[in-house]
Formats: sequence, C-alpha cells, structure tokens
Amino acid sequence: MNHPLLTQVIEALPDPVAVFDTQLNLVTVNSAFSEESCRHLGYALKAGDSLRQLADLHPNLAMQSMDHWQAALSGHRVAFELSYGQPPLRYQISCSPLYNEQKEVFQVMMVIRNVQAETEVRENERFFRSVLENLPVGLQEFTPEGWHRNMNEAQKSILGEDHASNTGPYNVFDDPFNRRNGLTALLDEVKQHKEPVKREMLLKYTEVQDDNVTRIQPMYYEVTGFPVLDLQGDIECLFIILSEITEKKLAVLSLEKSERLLHTIVENLPVGYIQFDHFGFIRRVNQTQRKLFASTGLEEQPDSNLIQDPFARLFELDQLFLEVLQRGKMLRLEKKLEFQVHTGAGKIDREIFLDLTMFPVEDPVDKDQIVVALVNDITEKKRQELENTKNQESLVQTGEIGKIGGWELDMASRHLRWSGQTYKIHELPPYATMTLEKSLSFLEEESRSRVEQAMTACMNRGKAFDLQVTIQTARNNTLQARIIGKPEYRNGRIVRIYGVIQDVTEQFRIRNQLTRNAELMRLFFDTIDMGYAVMDKDGKVNFINRKAQEIVDHGKVIGRNIFEVFPSLVGSTFHARVRQCIDAQAPVSFSNFLPQLDKWYEFLLAPMQDGSISIFTRNITDSKKMQRELRKANDQLSSLNKFLVNQNKQLEDFAHITSHNLRAPIANLKALMQIMNESDNEQEQEMYKGMFQEVIRNIDETLNDLIEIVQIRKDLNVERETLAFADRLQKVKDILLVDMETSSIRLTADFSEAPHIDYPRIYLDSILQNLLTNAIKYRATDRPPSLHLQSRAVDGGIMLTAEDNGMGIDMERYGAKLFGFRKTFHKNKDAKGIGLFITKTQIEAMGGSIYAESQLGAGTKFIITFRPE
Amino acid sequence: MKPLQSIFIVDDDPIHQQITEIMLERLRIADKVSKFSDAQDVLDHIRLNAADQSGLPDLILLDLNMPVMDGWEFLEVFAELRYQLSKPVRIYVLTSSIDERDRQRVDQFDFVSGYLTKPLTNDIIMALLP
Repeated sequence: MNHPLLTQVIEALPDPVAVFDTQLNLVTVNSAFSEESCRHLGYALKAGDSLRQLADLHPNLAMQSMDHWQAALSGHRVAFELSYGQPPLRYQISCSPLYNEQKEVFQVMMVIRNVQAETEVRENERFFRSVLENLPVGLQEFTPEGWHRNMNEAQKSILGEDHASNTGPYNVFDDPFNRRNGLTALLDEVKQHKEPVKREMLLKYTEVQDDNVTRIQPMYYEVTGFPVLDLQGDIECLFIILSEITEKKLAVLSLEKSERLLHTIVENLPVGYIQFDHFGFIRRVNQTQRKLFASTGLEEQPDSNLIQDPFARLFELDQLFLEVLQRGKMLRLEKKLEFQVHTGAGKIDREIFLDLTMFPVEDPVDKDQIVVALVNDITEKKRQELENTKNQESLVQTGEIGKIGGWELDMASRHLRWSGQTYKIHELPPYATMTLEKSLSFLEEESRSRVEQAMTACMNRGKAFDLQVTIQTARNNTLQARIIGKPEYRNGRIVRIYGVIQDVTEQFRIRNQLTRNAELMRLFFDTIDMGYAVMDKDGKVNFINRKAQEIVDHGKVIGRNIFEVFPSLVGSTFHARVRQCIDAQAPVSFSNFLPQLDKWYEFLLAPMQDGSISIFTRNITDSKKMQRELRKANDQLSSLNKFLVNQNKQLEDFAHITSHNLRAPIANLKALMQIMNESDNEQEQEMYKGMFQEVIRNIDETLNDLIEIVQIRKDLNVERETLAFADRLQKVKDILLVDMETSSIRLTADFSEAPHIDYPRIYLDSILQNLLTNAIKYRATDRPPSLHLQSRAVDGGIMLTAEDNGMGIDMERYGAKLFGFRKTFHKNKDAKGIGLFITKTQIEAMGGSIYAESQLGAGTKFIITFRPE
Repeated sequence: MKPLQSIFIVDDDPIHQQITEIMLERLRIADKVSKFSDAQDVLDHIRLNAADQSGLPDLILLDLNMPVMDGWEFLEVFAELRYQLSKPVRIYVLTSSIDERDRQRVDQFDFVSGYLTKPLTNDIIMALLP
C-alpha cells in the first residue's frame, strides 16, 4: 500500500489515526489526530514527528503506551485503554501492524477512539444493577402481559425460594393468590392509567418463634406498581416494588384499636368531654356532655367555633381556651352557672356547678395542638357538700346547746383527742394537751374505776359503753356526765375508740329534783335520833319522821288528827302540855307514861312561827332505873333540853330559809302556771317554758345548798385529823391557781405560832378556800389585792385571822346579813351569798365561831376561833 | 285610758319582774310598767322626778329581800321623801316571806298600803286599783 493511498484511507476514518514506523516516527496522520493532538499537546503532531517527542512531554502517557507500541511492532495486534486529560477521558487505542512485501512489520497503524461515553454507560448500568440488587425493597419486572422477566435478591427472598417465578415461566396475572391479595387489581390499574399505583397489602404470613411457641404473623407490604413506557407511550414493561411495612402496619392497627377503645371510653365517660382543634372548633363531644348540653337547653353546635358558641360563652370557655393554648398548661376550676331553661311549662331558673378541667394535647399524628375540656357536673356533690357543712354546723351547734363533746382515742398512738366542747365541759382551755391518764383524773374515784373497766372491756372485747359518771372539772366544779364510747375496727383490729361526753348535770338535777327534795327532808329529820313530828294546833300531823313512826307504830298517821288516831290522848298529860305550849308560846318538856303502849316517853314540845308545834320524843322505858337515877336523868334532861333548844333554833333558821328562799321560786312557778294557762300563744308558751327552767334551776341550786348545810350539821362527828395549815393552804392555792393569777393577788401567811390543828380536812379546805375566794372576788379595783392569813394559839383553842385589802363591807348596814343564807350586798353578779354561810356553818358545827371587822373601802378581817376537842 | 299611769316593780329576781310585768300588761291596768333591781335606783329616780307628776309612779310593788339596798332601807328613806312628792305614791310590799315578824315590821310603816305575798294573782292585782 503506498503512502498517499494510506493517507486517504485514514483520513476517511472518523477517529484520530496515526501511522508510525519502526523508529516511532510518524509516517502519516489524519486530521482528526492532528486536532486531537493539538487539543491535548498544544500543537499538532504531523508526519515526520517522532512519538518520542510525546514521551518526553507526557511521560505518563508514553509509559502507558510504549510497551504496547513495541508489541505492535513485533507483529501483535494490540488494543488498550488509557485515560488522559483534565478531566480524564477514556480512550481505546488499537494498534495494527502493517506488513511489507517481505512480510515484515514496517509500520503500525494506531487508531484512537474516545470511549468515555461507552465506559460511563457500562459503569452506570453495573452500578444501577448492583443498587437494584441490593435495594432493601423487592423489585420485579414483568412484561406488559404479566410474564416474569427479572427480579432482585430482595424480591427473591420475599417470594421465597420455591416461588414459581424462580422455576419457570410465571404470569403474575394468572396467579389466583394475587387476585385475592389485590396485586392483580393493582397491576390492572397501572396498565389502565399508565401511572404508578401504591397500595398496602397483606402478602404472606411468617412464622415467628417466640420461646417455645410458633406464632403466625401476617406480613404487610407497601406495593407500588408502575409502568415503563417506550417512546411511543406504550407499556414496555411493568414493575412492582414491594416494601415491608409489617411493623408500621401493626403499629397503626394497634393504634387504631386503642383509638377505638379510647373513643369508646371517652364516649362513655361519666364526665363531659369536649375536644377542640387549635382553631377552637369543637371536634368531639361525648354523650355525657351531650346530655349536659341538652339539659342546659343550649343546642349542641359541634361545628361552631368556641367564640360564637353560646355554651362556650356561658362557660367563658373562649377565654380559658386561649389561656390553655397559649400557656400550654392545664387549668382546673369550679364554675357556678345560673341560667334559665325553657321547658314546656315555661322558664325555670337553674343553677349548676361544674368542675372544669382543660388541658392541651398534641395530636400524635398531625402534631397539632388540640384542647380537651373535661366537664364534670358536680351540682349534686356541691349540694351534698353544702348540706354536709350545714349538718356539720348544726352538729357543732347541737354539741354546744346539748353540751355534748366528742373524744377519740387512737389505739396505735394512744393519742387522745377532745373536741372544743369536751374541753368546755371539763372547764379547761381548749386544746390543752390531753392524755388518757389526765382525762381519767377528772373522774371521781368510783366513776374512774367504772370508766377504766369499760375502756378495758372495749379495748379487749370491743364492748361499747354508756356510763353516767361524776366529773370534777378543772375549776373544781362537780358535774354529772354521760360518756358513750364505741370501738372502730379496721381489718379485724380495733383502731380507735371514740364517743361523746354529755354534761347531764342539769337533766340529772331536774329529773332527781323531787326525789332529792324528799330525801332532803328525810335526811334532815332522820338525823335526829328521836321521834319528831309536826302538828298544827288542832292536832293534825303534818310531818312525822321514821323514828316517831316507829314509836306510834300505827299505819298512816300523817295528815290525820293525832287525837282521832289515839283517842286516849284526849285529856292526857300530853294534851295538857300541848295546850300549855301553845298558850305560852314557849317550849315545854315533860315525860309521860303511855299506858296503852306500856312505855315511858320524854317529850319536848316547841311552838313554831306558823302556829304549829314541833314534837320531839324519846322512849325512856328502857331506862328502868330512871327513878333510881333521877338526879342523873334530870341532868341529862337539862343538857338535852339545851341541845334541843339549840337544835330548835337551827330548825327555826331552816324554816326561815325555807320560807324565804324556797317560797320565792315556788311562788314564781305558781304565777308562771297561771299566766301560762291564760295564754295559748305558742311563742309565749315557749318563753314561759324557758322561764320555768330558769326557776327550777334556781330551786335546784337552793336545794343543793341546803343539802350541803344539812350534811354539815348532820356530820357532827365528822372525823378530825391533824392538819398543817400550810399544807392545806397549798392545796387550796392549787385549786384556785387560775383565779389567783388572773387577780394577781398577793397571798401571805404566818402559821408559825400554831402550825397544826385537829380538824376535819374538808371543812378546813372549804374554809380556807372561801376566805381566799372572797378576798379575790371582792378585791378593790384601785390597788393590787392582798390577803394575809395568820394562826395563833389563844386561850382555849386556835384563832385564824384572814385580813384583806379589798372593798370592805359597811358593817353597820350589812353586818347582820354578812353570814346569812343567800344574802348579798354587792352588785357583783358572781355573788351568791352562800360561801360565808357555809363557812359559818362548818365552823359552828365544830363548836367554833366566826366574826368580821371591816371598814368600807379599806378591807375586811375575818376572825375565826376553833374550839379545841 | 287605763286606770293607772305608771307602776314600778322593785325586785332583784328577774323572773319575778318578768312575770309580774306580763300579768300587769295582760290586765291593762297601767300605761307604763317599769322594772328596778336596786331600790337605790328607785330612790334616785323619785328624787329626780319629785316635782314631775308624770315621772312618778302611781304604785310601787316593793320586794323586801334585795342586795345592796333592801326594802326596809327603802321604806325608811321613803318615809321622809314622800312629803316632797307632787303626787301620792302608793306602796305595796310584795314578798315571798310569810314570816309574821316581817308583816308586823311592815305594819310599823303606816304609809304602806298593803303586805302582799307572792305569787301575785289577777284578783290581787285587780284589788290594787283605787
């Protein structure tokens, strides 16, 4: 082949071509080569240039090529690839040896082809294929008719090793399973619309090993089918992509399930439920709330906005809503609503209480803020509460009125708790610390042992108790109280004992008043170990004591005329002496033999203010030696006479007291009866009842005072003991501690001269207490009060003086009344006029005396003389 | 116009005061019924109104046994005071005491119109009218 021809041939080739000789000198090049070399080297290589020039300029290029060129010169067809340039481009270089006539290689034709695009395509395809292969989603290709063409590894493992598409021709449309799971329908849709279609499908089940249990779990896939269209827009192939979503699907399913559950719960909540979206539109309302809507007469408007909704405005929900939404905080409040309800009959005013809770919630899906309102109709509860409060109040009031206090003993802590009224009953300041031991100390000995027994029985056997007891209050008042206790069990164990305590002193007094009245009389007259009777001047017996009754030994005498019961008495010595007594209005004593009784009696007849005659009599038959011991008897008689005169004087005092102090309230009772009978006005009747009680209380008080006096006079032989004045004063100071402190009285005493006395302890305590109480009660207002006590040995006994700096008494005016029964001469409301009377009685009963010296405004000095044994 | 203008009840027992007031008012015998617990207050009042007929009572129901100033002391002072009054004031002792000695002692005060023992009855009250 000659040179020009060769040049023409290579010029025809589209790729750059160069021919070089064995010396690597270029023989000829085509213009494409020239252009290419010019682009890369900066100048065009032309025939005659050596390739070594290239090697010098671009050693890298030459190094890649030199061996191949030499190989070609040795007669091998060589093709190789190299990359060159910025950015590097891939070139394929083919070198073909050219032979001369001697079959020797004399030239080599080098064709340079730019293979950059081809290489890229090839690499891309490999890349995409590996990507598709390794996708975590299944990918399968079908012909438009549905024949399986290709699938990736993921798809293979989804379908399983033994799936038909692995073993032979498989048509996706012919598989009956796909018709059931919806894949057929999906691919039909893809073909029809030539658009991707996505759907979730249950495609298979898998076995899950859970410990020893194999469970079948459904596998859910998101299936996307799409067509690949050719240039004409016809379907070239169909693809499906399968992505496993089992977990997500199961989560969604369980979410739906719990949502359905939640919905049911919300719907059936006994509390009203309103759900708002973040614009304030009502989105959900449950049935309780619907009922409430209906009952308020407001129409439910679930689509209306909070701002316009009448119910919401009624609630001021709109404001609350904004607050909840803006602050993101829960709000809870009670609202009272008043409104009118339209009914068939007209308008009715209603009032309801609502417990309203509003809180923000983030919608888990949309991430929107929603607001939920819980509306609880607490009208009934509120009413109950109000009722309870009222009951509580009335209970407290009842407690105060009925003087009923509460108490409870906690078994675990042994803590005893008292109500205010209980403290009041005990006359203690409220809420002083209280223990069981301390509380028992207020009980009288006998009551205390009964209460202790009852408490023990209650603790051990759960026995409830109801006892009437006597209480000595902190201020030393004696009360009758009723204590009721009950056990409370928890889990079969007794946890506390609780109950009430009621001051029943008044009830007790009123109930026992008549009994006591009779007892009083009996007590008084039975104390005399003699027959005693009272008869009017005609002989009618108005009173007869037990002893006298024994003496006369004749059924009922009282109310009858003695001269009719015993006719033999008419004209007797007795009869004559009675006359004498009446006429002289002086006591007459004599002894008389009563033949019908065959007994001797001593008599003392004493005239009384109202014209009656007191008869004292004593059987002297037993002293048969009377005549022999006449002198002695006479002596006895005269001493008895004195004693009886003294007794008589006391009796007279007593009669006087009775006439003054018992008549007044009884007169009040009579008058009250009269005006009450004349009125039928209920309100007035109530008032009279109150007055009755007041009067009866007054009588009761008087009677109690009288009983005390009678007791003192009766107990002439009350036991004496050796007492230290200082000890007894200390005891009294303890009792009056509060009063002493309030008055800040300065109490001094000097018992050094006569520190001891033989005297009944209770009397001495009572005397000292009365002296101290008087000094406090009648203290002067313009100076600090003081009292000085002093004991002295005097001729024939001990003298005690009590000198105070109090307001003093006008002795000239009141001296006679000072020690009188129920005599007062101060405007002091506390004054009862009993203290000094009792003191005097107690002193005189033991043979002593008391008198007072006083200067109005300067103070009082009481001087007491105790007679020795 | 009721038979009497003014009656004073002088007694330290509030229940008695109340009962007596009710009885007097039921019988409508006086325009005005006043109650006193302390005899001294009554004396002060009478002294103050000695010249004023309308301030003086027509009738005083006087208890004997009272604290501070009792009925006896009152009677002793009133014995002199009555001469200075612009109209006659009748005094009835009204006491629970049935002690004859009390009655005799009251008799010493000749200006006292009567000795009444409690309780009052309608008949007794009606008998007090002039």
